[in-house]
Amino acid sequence: MSMLNVSSSPHLRSPHNTSREMYNVVLALLPATVFGVFHFGLHALLVILMSVVTACGTEYVFDYIARRPNTLWDLSAVVTGLLLALCLPPSVPLYIPFAGALFAILFTKCFFGGLGQNFMNPALAGRVFLLISFGTAMIDYSYDGVSGATPLATLNEGGTVSVLKMFLGFASGHIGVSVAALCVGAAYLIYTDTIKWKVPAATLVVFVIIMGIAGPGHFAPLYIGAELAGGGLILGAFFMATDPVTSPMTGLGQLIYGGLIGGLAALFRLKSGMADGMSYAIITANLIVPLLDKYIIEEPWGVGKPGQVLPSEEEMANKKPGIAIPRSALVLCLITAIAGVALGGVYSLTKDTIEANQMAANLAAYQAVVPGAENFAYDEAISASLEEAMAGDYYADGAYGKTRVNEVVAGTDASGNIVGYGLSVTSMEGFDGEITLALGIAADGTVNGISFTVINETAGMGMKADEPEWKAQFEGVKVDSFTLNKSGGSTADNEIDSVSGASITSGAVVNAVNTGLDFYHNYIQ
Amino acid sequence: MSLFMIIITAALVNNVVLSQFLGICSFVGVSNKIKTSFSLGMAVIFVITIASAVANLLYTLILEPFGLGYLQTIVFILVIAALVQLVEMFLKKTSPALYQALGIFLPLITTNCAVLGVALNNVTDGYNFIESVINGFGTAVGYTIAIVLLAGIRESMVDNDVPGPVQGAPLVLFAAALMGMAFFGFSTLTLG
Amino acid sequence: MNKNVERLYNGIVKENPTFILMLGMCPTLAVTTSATNAIGMGLSTMVVLIISNFVISLFRKLIPDEVRLPAYIVIVASFVTVVQLIMQAYFVEINKSLGVYIPLIVVNCIILGRAEAYASKNDPVPSIFDGLGMGLGFTLGLFLLGAFRELLGAGTVFGIQIAPSFYEPIAVLVKAPGAFLVLGCIIMVMNAWGISTRANKMVEEGCASCAGCGTPGTENCDKKEEVKA
Repeated sequence: MSMLNVSSSPHLRSPHNTSREMYNVVLALLPATVFGVFHFGLHALLVILMSVVTACGTEYVFDYIARRPNTLWDLSAVVTGLLLALCLPPSVPLYIPFAGALFAILFTKCFFGGLGQNFMNPALAGRVFLLISFGTAMIDYSYDGVSGATPLATLNEGGTVSVLKMFLGFASGHIGVSVAALCVGAAYLIYTDTIKWKVPAATLVVFVIIMGIAGPGHFAPLYIGAELAGGGLILGAFFMATDPVTSPMTGLGQLIYGGLIGGLAALFRLKSGMADGMSYAIITANLIVPLLDKYIIEEPWGVGKPGQVLPSEEEMANKKPGIAIPRSALVLCLITAIAGVALGGVYSLTKDTIEANQMAANLAAYQAVVPGAENFAYDEAISASLEEAMAGDYYADGAYGKTRVNEVVAGTDASGNIVGYGLSVTSMEGFDGEITLALGIAADGTVNGISFTVINETAGMGMKADEPEWKAQFEGVKVDSFTLNKSGGSTADNEIDSVSGASITSGAVVNAVNTGLDFYHNYIQ
Repeated sequence: MSLFMIIITAALVNNVVLSQFLGICSFVGVSNKIKTSFSLGMAVIFVITIASAVANLLYTLILEPFGLGYLQTIVFILVIAALVQLVEMFLKKTSPALYQALGIFLPLITTNCAVLGVALNNVTDGYNFIESVINGFGTAVGYTIAIVLLAGIRESMVDNDVPGPVQGAPLVLFAAALMGMAFFGFSTLTLG
Repeated sequence: MNKNVERLYNGIVKENPTFILMLGMCPTLAVTTSATNAIGMGLSTMVVLIISNFVISLFRKLIPDEVRLPAYIVIVASFVTVVQLIMQAYFVEINKSLGVYIPLIVVNCIILGRAEAYASKNDPVPSIFDGLGMGLGFTLGLFLLGAFRELLGAGTVFGIQIAPSFYEPIAVLVKAPGAFLVLGCIIMVMNAWGISTRANKMVEEGCASCAGCGTPGTENCDKKEEVKA
């Protein structure tokens, strides 16, 4: 009697088994592979072959020595070899793909148990191994006599790049350089439901947001386009981060994981000299996946394990999918920590931009009083001195009345030489309250002039201080301080005629100016 | 460097376990369970932060002015041992629940290279009081991150079909190697 | 075998601190980036080990049991400071490359472990030989690791180019992750050859204490066991 195949439920038949998925990935990578060989030449093909053959060979030999069933049918070794080759520079010596593929398969996969049991993406682990070990060879992107400055490197140095060329792949870079070809493949993978789309979605969204806020080109489409098209971002986001073995199982986990990759990739892009940040971003995110999978629980869809006592109907109805209660604190901590770090990172990245915005408010005034300056910036040493000097409520404990120095900027010309300083000073003793002005002092100590930023004095009286003839008294003189002459008819450089009928206003202005001068003489000169 | 940057640098860029190799014994020994790893990490943060503060005070107020800098090793290690004893007694009395969770780890931290290493590094790097405390805190946070991540990985590998000779220590060391490679990326950052 | 020679054999081979007992992991991983550093560290540790073993053994009957750990620490720390001062004076280059790991000899599991496991229970002269044996074993272990990493990771040994010029050094081996890799490979090979090492037990049972890890299965490890549940 023939043996009937008896097995317990659930039976789930689907066209998705690992080798089918891997086959889809290989298909999806073909356009980019073909383009790479076509664009970079024969050596690129050799690199690809060496990588794939070594990967498969390593797995085969290992299975043989360890007396395990051969696993090559799964095609994941082929995928690893191919992915690794696609992120290598096209003219690397052949020992590079050999060593990289060997390390990737043996140390990242086989030693951890083999198929489906690695926690880190093998291709990227291999790539990082190569980056750390053979640094010089790995950053040489020249091919066939064409010099190796990648578009991203050019962009970093302030040059311009052709985003279209980067997108199509007619630029220097690693073998899988054609973003267009990769997108075709990625579209195929999403269409066949082969990859977890939430991961690249989260990655790209977070990456674009952070690069837009903190990158030099902000949200300019050409800049964002170039950043997206370069540095293996697309290859990593759609083909590496989505590796079924090393990415989270739950939807929420995938979003967190993808977002983290995007954030780290942006961080490395902005704050590190290398263009390989995507590789490190992904393998760092890999480390968190076991924790994500452990603490995020989704609605179970199958039966429990044999021998497990199943909860009753009411219990099942009450148990909602979500995060397990006792662990919620830990997950909350993790999320808070990630958020905190991300926020802190964003803050430090955006600090300069925010500072620039602060300054913009007073910019017009500074430009008026420091002619010849193209840029204004804060000087750390001066700002530190300012903090010290303004430790109390008023400057020099009220030596000039209720005055303050708000900020000091240094104005530089196109060559970076300091042409003068802009000081924003305030006196609270105007007739109608606060008077704030920008005082410009040239590099040689001459007072350039003043420009009011806050003045609410009486029209026709105190407001006359804001007239060019009155302000001109401060222009082009080199003095240590000014004195107010209430009776008018001043002759000396340092005497200022009071606005008739508005001596209080005038006095406040003079005090404010003297405060600025005092600060300049004591802390800047 | 701004204080926030000190924390990030201490925790990630110069990670105490993966870059400086301090605290390896407990790193490989305790990381087989996420829960205990997290508890150990909390205890380490507690002890290292306080120890950094006390060590810095001792150095700046007593050792350095009297030219006794060379005594730092002895003084620091004694302070750490005493501190751990005090903390243990304090916990036992005031919070039995916390003592249950953290207490057993405390004596084991005394001889943890990381605590003494951080205290000594604070002196070498010339940090003032606030910077020492923040640096100690950041270092310990980095330790906690590393050990919890490794514990997560180890727990997920429990049912793996690991080849014979790799089972045990080599597996953990290879996992640590891969973690180290991932953290290597942080060392290329120029922050602050 | 004469007791003292037996101590030597034990420390260098049978219970080699680096490969069998897995003690002093922190400096083992940190300073084996070159053969020179490895020997420098090994010899410094050996000197401290010999002296502290001798002194502790000499006074073993006088040190009260409850305070023995702090007492050992003070003794060891003093000698470490002495060694450190001598190195700062006469061996400046090595002192700079070894850096913070010299004072960390204080908490090196080997020193406190041997004090606890042997010196506190035996006569001074065998204790000296125990220290000598363990020290030599440690130095040997460090040297093998350091030479291996330096050779493959930089192509040199003791700074002298040994590898042929076509060999591309695998730089990761002299960086931080490489330390874990090399040590893991060595233990993997030992496992395959059936050489038993405490390493596998250590990662499972989690002996987080160094003072109690002078010999396998000591009280602190057991204490950790019973509260683990």
